[in-house]
Amino acid sequence: MSSTFVENICLPYLLGAQNEDGGWGFHTGSTSRAEPTAWALIALLEVSSSDSHKQAASKALQFLGSCQLPDGSWPSSPELREGSWVTSVVCLALLARKECAENVARGLTWLSNELPGEARTVHRLIRRIFAKKPAGQNASYFGWSWTVGTASWVEPTSHAIIFLRMMPPQLLSSAAESRRRMGETMLYDRMCVSGGWNSGNPMVYGVPGEPQVSSTVWALLALYEHPDRPEIQKSLAWLQAHSSAIQSPASLALTIIAFNAYGRLDASLIESLRGMYEKNEILWNVPEVAWATLAMSATQSWLQPKSYGKAD
Amino acid sequence: MPRPAPLLIPSFSRPKSRVAIRGSLAYQSDLAAVIHETIREFDLPVQGKTVLLKPNFVGFDPLGMVNTHPAVVSAVRETFLRLGASAVLIGEGPALDRDTQAVLESIRLREYSGPLSRIFVDLNVDDVERVALRTHASRLSELYLPKTVLGVDFLVSMPKMKTHHWAGVTLSLKNMFGVVPGSCYGWPKNVLHWAGIDPAILDINAAVRPDFAIVDGIVGMEGNGPIQGQSKQCGTLVFGDDPVAVDATCARIMGLLPEKIDYLARAATLLGHIRPEQIEQLGESISKVCTPFAVLDAFARLRSSM
Repeated sequence: MSSTFVENICLPYLLGAQNEDGGWGFHTGSTSRAEPTAWALIALLEVSSSDSHKQAASKALQFLGSCQLPDGSWPSSPELREGSWVTSVVCLALLARKECAENVARGLTWLSNELPGEARTVHRLIRRIFAKKPAGQNASYFGWSWTVGTASWVEPTSHAIIFLRMMPPQLLSSAAESRRRMGETMLYDRMCVSGGWNSGNPMVYGVPGEPQVSSTVWALLALYEHPDRPEIQKSLAWLQAHSSAIQSPASLALTIIAFNAYGRLDASLIESLRGMYEKNEILWNVPEVAWATLAMSATQSWLQPKSYGKAD
Repeated sequence: MPRPAPLLIPSFSRPKSRVAIRGSLAYQSDLAAVIHETIREFDLPVQGKTVLLKPNFVGFDPLGMVNTHPAVVSAVRETFLRLGASAVLIGEGPALDRDTQAVLESIRLREYSGPLSRIFVDLNVDDVERVALRTHASRLSELYLPKTVLGVDFLVSMPKMKTHHWAGVTLSLKNMFGVVPGSCYGWPKNVLHWAGIDPAILDINAAVRPDFAIVDGIVGMEGNGPIQGQSKQCGTLVFGDDPVAVDATCARIMGLLPEKIDYLARAATLLGHIRPEQIEQLGESISKVCTPFAVLDAFARLRSSM
């Protein structure tokens, strides 16, 4: 059933939405960008079975290579000439391909060196002088930001940690490993009181923030190596309690991915996801279709650490 | 053809602004009639034009105090179609959750406005175009903004009437943060916070100034807004052809002094009017609908003595 859904709905949409330049925009016909291209590539590599899939993946690799910036990062949009969170997602996509090792290494260097705004010396000094700290979180913990020079948030931190977790350990520098551990600490610190995560504000002026599905899923995938920690169990329980009320394909696909990763597969969620796409009452979006494809994967190889890589 | 950049006109040479207040409203009332009658009074140039409504959609909102109510958005959409607009789109780029459809489903927009794929544009993932910022109020020199926003003929900001824990109030000017695309800047659009919220509000509105504003103040939010405050019954809709004047009027309705709201005071120099004598008031009087909103202690200085 799930493979039929992927073959009849997800893959035709993804293949049909690929642009001539090998990239994907967020929608059919929109300008190619690195992030949707990376997600489409991850999905294609996960389920790839035909020559047309392999050709599409090959063109996508070329596109991603062409938009890497000289400093090793990837911008969120080709016109922006500055690195972003997209670097983690692209590196995750390229990690499976041995021929992209150089691109990944440069991306890794950028990610290891790029500090979020609050971790920079000037900001730390200001915080120390004015004893200024955001309520409800430890400001000395940091992860990764969405864009250069801004603060750490849950999703970009999770994406970076997921990528670093997939890297062959022998290729991780001590600086990268240290950043990864600090990022994990930050994620635990930013967890909502009720379990789960939102974008990164567990408390605002003394009021607990509400968790969100997508942030919770990315944090759970980032912290996958600690399944028995009480924070993880609490967050899985929050996601479980809210899963039946999810009304959008993106959140549903991500929830299925998280439950798959933690061995809590729920067939009714898969049926709901398929139903949403079949009813066609959705806002079609390339990353979301890619996540739906990944949600149906039995192997989840995209979430397995790489020993370094397969050449094709 | 892209929208021309808005003219930055000093207050002394800008014509009077027009603002209309409608009071004693509920979401169950005949909003379509009230909204149609009010917008028609403004004689807006929308015949044959593409209109974009930019509401404030944040997320799950069981008490109806966070988001622009879909009943208001739907009624405004119907009005512009009745007035001859060739298309009326609804566009938003939620700041905190990249699952835009989850936000729309949680507020039941589909029940009020029909199939989302035909009318809704997710501004977070739209194609973008570089816009040079002319005001340099913040340190930002450019922003990449959605082509849909830059391409429509008539842009309407439709915020909720709320207090804001960093900006004081969030109304039609602050609502324009939602046109900045998450796919370029993240969720939240943290680059705007680091550039300074007040100056960033000015820069964005100087780049894409709304042609019209409609504020949903039927139920608003006071205290620790824009998400975690308390519900506030106010029963008003505020309409106007100048977003600065609309926001100033809303501030007065909320019992706050617009001159003391940093970004509003600065907006009055180039983007619109805040002084009462420069605003032609239609409909109800401010004093009749005035409903003081509680603010955090940090904003106590904004309170008027009304």
